[in-house]
Amino acid sequence: MLSLFDAFRDTSNLATILKLLLSVLCGTVIGLERSSKNRPAGFRTHILVCLGSCTAAMTGLFLYLDLKLPSDISRIASQVVAGLGFIGAGTIIVTKKLSIKGLTTAAGLWTTGIIGIAIGSGFFEAGIVGTVLVLLAETLFARLSMKITHVPQFTLELLYNEKDFLDQVLRFLKDHRMDIVNLQIHTMEAHDTARYSAKVELRSTMPEKDLLFHVQHMRGIVSATTL
Amino acid sequence: MSNSLDFTFLSVVVRLALAVLGGSIIGYGRSKKERAAGLRTYILISIGACMSVLITFYEFEMFEGPWHDIAVEVGSKLDASRIAAQVITGIGFLGAGTIIKVSHQQVTGLTTATGMFATVCMGIAIGAGYYTLSITVMVLIEIILNVMSPMEIGFKRKLRNITLSVSFTGVDDISGITEVIQAENAVIYDIDVERTEETAHHHPSAIFILQLSPQHQSHTGMLTSIAELPCVYSVRELIS
Repeated sequence: MLSLFDAFRDTSNLATILKLLLSVLCGTVIGLERSSKNRPAGFRTHILVCLGSCTAAMTGLFLYLDLKLPSDISRIASQVVAGLGFIGAGTIIVTKKLSIKGLTTAAGLWTTGIIGIAIGSGFFEAGIVGTVLVLLAETLFARLSMKITHVPQFTLELLYNEKDFLDQVLRFLKDHRMDIVNLQIHTMEAHDTARYSAKVELRSTMPEKDLLFHVQHMRGIVSATTL
Repeated sequence: MSNSLDFTFLSVVVRLALAVLGGSIIGYGRSKKERAAGLRTYILISIGACMSVLITFYEFEMFEGPWHDIAVEVGSKLDASRIAAQVITGIGFLGAGTIIKVSHQQVTGLTTATGMFATVCMGIAIGAGYYTLSITVMVLIEIILNVMSPMEIGFKRKLRNITLSVSFTGVDDISGITEVIQAENAVIYDIDVERTEETAHHHPSAIFILQLSPQHQSHTGMLTSIAELPCVYSVRELIS
């Protein structure tokens, strides 16, 4: 490990304040990136998690190193892992369409907590490298995973009022050899007439505009958009 | 060995008082904003966290003194951090309970949950008598939770990614709304139709998640162009 940090790994006043400030910094960096995507957990939430975990880890150190009590140095920090899990569980939403939102937010908060523990324990190397890697995962890898899944793939959102409209669409997609990745259909009652909405995730062999053009000329369509 | 512990009646009172002070400084700003967790909540959890450590210190003192013989005979497995550790798991449950799923697939109470988590960690540090840590953390939590709150809202108002809740006459209007959004060169990530029936009090509504074009005007520009549509009853930006 780097000897540069050796003076600040213990519980001296200077080390205490440095660790706290570093945890605030790491929380800010991760939190700003998250909240720039308008996710539910803002940067204040991330800083609080990082700061709190850092505090918990440092108290564990203090009990053992300074008070020399018979104690498990990592026990307090270990429960941070469990405690943040519960908080994260509260952020996960199951939407009406039975998809899950907020999982990345929960995972991000949890990881921020672990980074706080690393810093509080004086393991600055892991804390700093971890922060950088989380940022990379959020920015670079997010784009990469978009590329993996979205090369020719997009979602077609359809609203229609005749049941056989979807059949037409599916037949059309089959004729043009497009793969359907995912299909969700919902029935909605409105204005006395039944209406349906469908989300079709597909790998398209034609440009979005052409596909929309074809779909919009089928009988029973209310609206079609691509996401 | 127990000299370093500094466990006297005076130190117990001082630490508990400091826990009350810390809890009230943090809680005061929160209750002014009428958040779910107010002044008393923060004071209570701070006292509790502080006391959890003091209890272990008490047990440790008793093991050194009156209970020494029994401790030798039975063997003691005292771990000074065990109660404090469970306090953190416990606050996780409380925190999860403060998170509410409001409509529009949004959650509130996350900052309250994490604020309580950080306050409990501060309370534990106070109980341990780690004053440098606890006082610095107290100041930092106060700054983050209460002073920085307007900064966060200002930051979110400048973002390119915005979430809009729009209510309109009928489901057919969605295509008109998407056209307006696309005319402003914004990218639509997701549309979620929330309500399709029209009743006396509620109109059909949908959530639009979109990204404004880089050279785009302000959020209010997008809001007004959507609101100008005759079929639209209301447009609201959702800031989580």
